[in-house]
Amino acid sequence: MTTDVHMHPIYFDVISSDDSKVKFREEKFGIHKQSPYPMEEILYEMDYAKIDKSILLPLDLTTIEGGEVVSNEEIKKIVAEVPERFIGFGSVDPSREDAIDQLLYIFDDLKLSGLNLHPGKQLFYPNESKMKKIYSICQEKNKPIMFHAGLSWEPQSYIKYGQPIHFEEIAIEYPDLRICLSHFCWPWIKETIMLLIKYPNVYTDTSMLYLNSFEDFFRELFTKEIDQLTIERNFPKQILFGSNTPRFRAFKMKQAIEKFIVKEDVRENLFSLNAEEFLYGKKGKQ
Amino acid sequence: MIYSEKISIFTHKSAELINMTAEIESIVAKSCISNGVAFVISQHTTTGLVINEPLECVEQDIVNTLAKLIPDDDAYIHAHFLPSYGATSNNSPGHLKSTMLGNSVTFSVSDSKLEKGSAQDVYLAECDGPQSRQIIVKIMGE
Repeated sequence: MTTDVHMHPIYFDVISSDDSKVKFREEKFGIHKQSPYPMEEILYEMDYAKIDKSILLPLDLTTIEGGEVVSNEEIKKIVAEVPERFIGFGSVDPSREDAIDQLLYIFDDLKLSGLNLHPGKQLFYPNESKMKKIYSICQEKNKPIMFHAGLSWEPQSYIKYGQPIHFEEIAIEYPDLRICLSHFCWPWIKETIMLLIKYPNVYTDTSMLYLNSFEDFFRELFTKEIDQLTIERNFPKQILFGSNTPRFRAFKMKQAIEKFIVKEDVRENLFSLNAEEFLYGKKGKQ
Repeated sequence: MIYSEKISIFTHKSAELINMTAEIESIVAKSCISNGVAFVISQHTTTGLVINEPLECVEQDIVNTLAKLIPDDDAYIHAHFLPSYGATSNNSPGHLKSTMLGNSVTFSVSDSKLEKGSAQDVYLAECDGPQSRQIIVKIMGE
């Protein structure tokens, strides 16, 4: 069972009938020269990569850009269509006046499985006081948060908001809240490792490829920055497989990672078990 | 007279040969052009169009030899984040194979049929799949 914890359904044709909406997504997310593809092709590509499930991430930019890259309702629609393959997260623009109402709507009405936040694009520091109510609700409802962290590629996004150290207060003040600092917070990999060592409720994912080829990049990461023995000894439970589709093709990323993570139990954690724990906690799915 | 149709194909492997002969022959037959020329043209930069013999062993040799000549893990320059795409490239082998193979094939059309040799079939060579592909078949004649 392999779970990809980081997929943006920007080009899913079931939510792409409106060309202006696709154009909005492309401009705000900073992705171009791709076209909507049918569910059959999306599922085939997942099968080809041997990915069983993918977490779908929306992004609410209501106060910043006047809309959503992908809305919570669109995520709900996709998950309803293929529930055995997709897990839906919700998103809230923390600067919305009705942010808390939206958050409760995501969890209580739409029944989505977690929250996606993008400090660099939604323009907030993760340790701002206005975020505390959001974190409290997520902790209380046992819903994990996927944070975009590290380099922000999107236009009009600010990398400063995604530095790992800004997430430390959350890890301390909400010990039962599981947070994933995605993209390994690239390029702040050592800082990310520092947080992983100290805080068991902090996770990260592999969804990064900003230099060179998949193989070159993951060779550097998994032989020099943090090799598989280091992972096995220190972080067996905290690194998740994420592809960042459609920026990167999941099967190519997975093949490259598999070249350097060869120990079976380390692989099983990275590709499968850690995602379950991130999603549902140590007690498992209730 | 000019007759044109587009064929849509979803490929299923990163590298494979797909025999398109029957589909092209059917387009030629319904074109109402009995004598002329048929062009088969790919709209992509990581596919090829080739003519060869429809034997599984030949197909396998073509795919294997291309992989040997242009390995996946060589030190290609086109292996980096592309700002104009907001995505990574990393498909240089597909571009290079496509360059070697060419993006079109041409046949004479006679009596509303492709005038091809007995061992000739038309293949789409997928070099960066799985993907959706569009192939134009354009027939000119009378």
